[in-house]
Amino acid sequence: MKKALTALFFMAPCLVPLVPALVPTRAEAATKAVARPAPAPPQRAPRDGEAEARLIEIYKLIGQGTPREALRKAESLTRDHPNFQLAQLVYGDLLASFTRPLRAPGDAPEITASKAAAPALAELRQESLLRLRALRERPAPGTVPSQFLALSPRNKHAIAVDASRSRLYLFENTPIGLKLVADYYISVGKSGIEKSVEGDLRTPVGVYFVTSNLDPKSLRDFYGSGALPINYPNQLDVKRGKTGGGIWLHGTPPTQFSRAPLSTDGCVVLANPDLERIIRTVEVRSTPVVIAHSLKWVAPQSLSADSKSFESALQGWHTAKSSGDITRLTAWYTPDFTSYGKTLAEWTPSLQSELKQLGGRDIQLKDVSYLRWTDSADTMVVTFGELVKGAKTGRTKRQYWIRQGSQWKIFFEGAI
Amino acid sequence: MPTQNFLKRKPLSAVLRLLVAVAALSMSIAHADDYADVSRLMRAGQYAEAMTKVDQYLASKPRDPQMRFFKGVIQTETGKTNEAIATFTKITEDYPELPEPYNNMAVLYAGQSQFDKARAALEMAIRTNPSYATAHENLGDVYARLASQAYSKALQLDGGNAAVPPKLALIRNLFSADAKSQPQASAKPAAGAQASGQVTAAAPAAAPAPAPAAKPAPAPAPAVATPAPTPAPTAAPTPTPAAASAGAEKDVEAAVRSWAKAWSDKDMNGYLGSYGQNFDPPGKQARKAWEEDRRARIVGKSKISVVLSNLSISVQGNKATARFKQDYSADSLNITSRKTLDLAKVGDRWVIVKESTGG
Repeated sequence: MKKALTALFFMAPCLVPLVPALVPTRAEAATKAVARPAPAPPQRAPRDGEAEARLIEIYKLIGQGTPREALRKAESLTRDHPNFQLAQLVYGDLLASFTRPLRAPGDAPEITASKAAAPALAELRQESLLRLRALRERPAPGTVPSQFLALSPRNKHAIAVDASRSRLYLFENTPIGLKLVADYYISVGKSGIEKSVEGDLRTPVGVYFVTSNLDPKSLRDFYGSGALPINYPNQLDVKRGKTGGGIWLHGTPPTQFSRAPLSTDGCVVLANPDLERIIRTVEVRSTPVVIAHSLKWVAPQSLSADSKSFESALQGWHTAKSSGDITRLTAWYTPDFTSYGKTLAEWTPSLQSELKQLGGRDIQLKDVSYLRWTDSADTMVVTFGELVKGAKTGRTKRQYWIRQGSQWKIFFEGAI
Repeated sequence: MPTQNFLKRKPLSAVLRLLVAVAALSMSIAHADDYADVSRLMRAGQYAEAMTKVDQYLASKPRDPQMRFFKGVIQTETGKTNEAIATFTKITEDYPELPEPYNNMAVLYAGQSQFDKARAALEMAIRTNPSYATAHENLGDVYARLASQAYSKALQLDGGNAAVPPKLALIRNLFSADAKSQPQASAKPAAGAQASGQVTAAAPAAAPAPAPAAKPAPAPAPAVATPAPTPAPTAAPTPTPAAASAGAEKDVEAAVRSWAKAWSDKDMNGYLGSYGQNFDPPGKQARKAWEEDRRARIVGKSKISVVLSNLSISVQGNKATARFKQDYSADSLNITSRKTLDLAKVGDRWVIVKESTGG
């Protein structure tokens, strides 16, 4: 029998040099044999981010030159998520790599040749590229998106979307600051971002808040496991004359595990397991959703200077309001100020009666948060509870501030 | 002695396989005629008669793997697919060390477009016998089909799977030489005496050796590493002491290369003409059946390439042995294997008298 084994020895290396190592090498066969008796894990709902992690592991195995192991994992991934197109693509590539050399990911000759499939293939390659890039180029530990200037304890979580990376980042607001807890691949509008008019198939950019949590039973299959509408158009959008609405974070239809990077009508779309985690985590009304072309990640300390300069402006407004002097107070508002359709002139009387009611008593600002949005303008979205000193309850108010030179002024104020 | 001879021809088979072979053989000495009869009836397409003979035989020897295998083949040929699957499955349960029943199960599953099952069966066949060329070729076809299914799902194309299932090669005879390896005169027939457990235990020990040649590892890029084409150096001229034998070696090499070329060119006359009159077709196949099998295998391909490398030739009088690495690719399939051709000089021509994988 020795002879036979030597011969086996001798033959196996001849079979290996080509990628088409059709023969499961003895080593792999042995591993398999060992792995097999392990009981199949009980059926359970997939964890958020799990499918992507498995996909990346397959890519890594390919990179490490273990296509057989990669194939095994790809097979299992496509079995668990037959609708995960990117997984099917790499599974196809792996299978094909055992019969011929591959020239590129998604190298399906008869399919690439067909014009109809070419766009779909390009989208999958782009999705793959974006997923990998977002995982390779991680935000530096401890950094936060520059928009999150100050969050209040009421903002238990925060969401930031980096459209250039097709990535959503989920934060927990802990006593020691924002902590990145998860991030997911997302899809945005077919025409990209910077929504301005209804039907432009773009995703808005700006500072938004989750406004509700729609019951999945009330939704079409198309929206997957749920939907979280956000408050587009916000007051800055309104001021700029933007139109449209119904911008949601939602899931994927049964036919697709994830959608192409640019494929929605303007919504932000996540894989269902990822969306479910977000739905379980976030709080309606208080969770901010910042959507940006690309996020700038900064150390929280570096924000404190900006934060201080704005804080003094807010303090100035606070003092003016407590003083009861209407002229002094209205100086904080811009001439084009509006509050739910009312101009400054139309709104001033109600401000005046509010001051009268206060009768010189101080007001208190509680749970103040401010998020900065800078594009052609420098703006601040401020949310706080306003209550008369000594009172137990008050109203939650939101203000939109804009910087004019070195002066911060309010261009919207209203209860929410 | 027939037993000796039989074992000599199969030194690479696992011990388990030998045990079965020995068991089968003890019967086959007595019943060789029955096998031959069934085989002849099947070749003649007289399946009903063949089946009657098989059933008669199995009535007294119900476990006989060869007859049960014939039964499965007859059921396959007569379109009783599910029964055939059941027959082959049962054989694999009783004789898990035999690759052929797995191969044929795969053929049947593939015919039903159940490619995952076909693949699993072929992988079992190959694990049982890593140098099983038919299973490799079939697995290549199945992989190609699974790949195209996966691509269709990835790109959400409809009808990508409606295509006709691939026609895989059915094995007609158990213990056919398709899976056999190079003859080694020194193989000890006594091997059959060893415990079967030994091989299964010993095999993994051989594992660390065939470490895959490190492929360029392009970080976690999604690109599946394209294998660098295996350098196929033209056979280094084997240094030979005698000038006369050098001339003979040249002739042998020319014969081997023209055989490979005829194969690549799908020149069936040239290809079959490379084999001598006394060529020993694999297994117990008749020359004619073998030729038909080869013809079906070769003519059906749109493109074949056979590249030989590391060719080494030894000549002894009118006999020669050529050993080489064979890079075979056909359509979407690539197989690299070691091959040994035994040649004999007939007149002034060198012809192939034996072809085996491995060596």
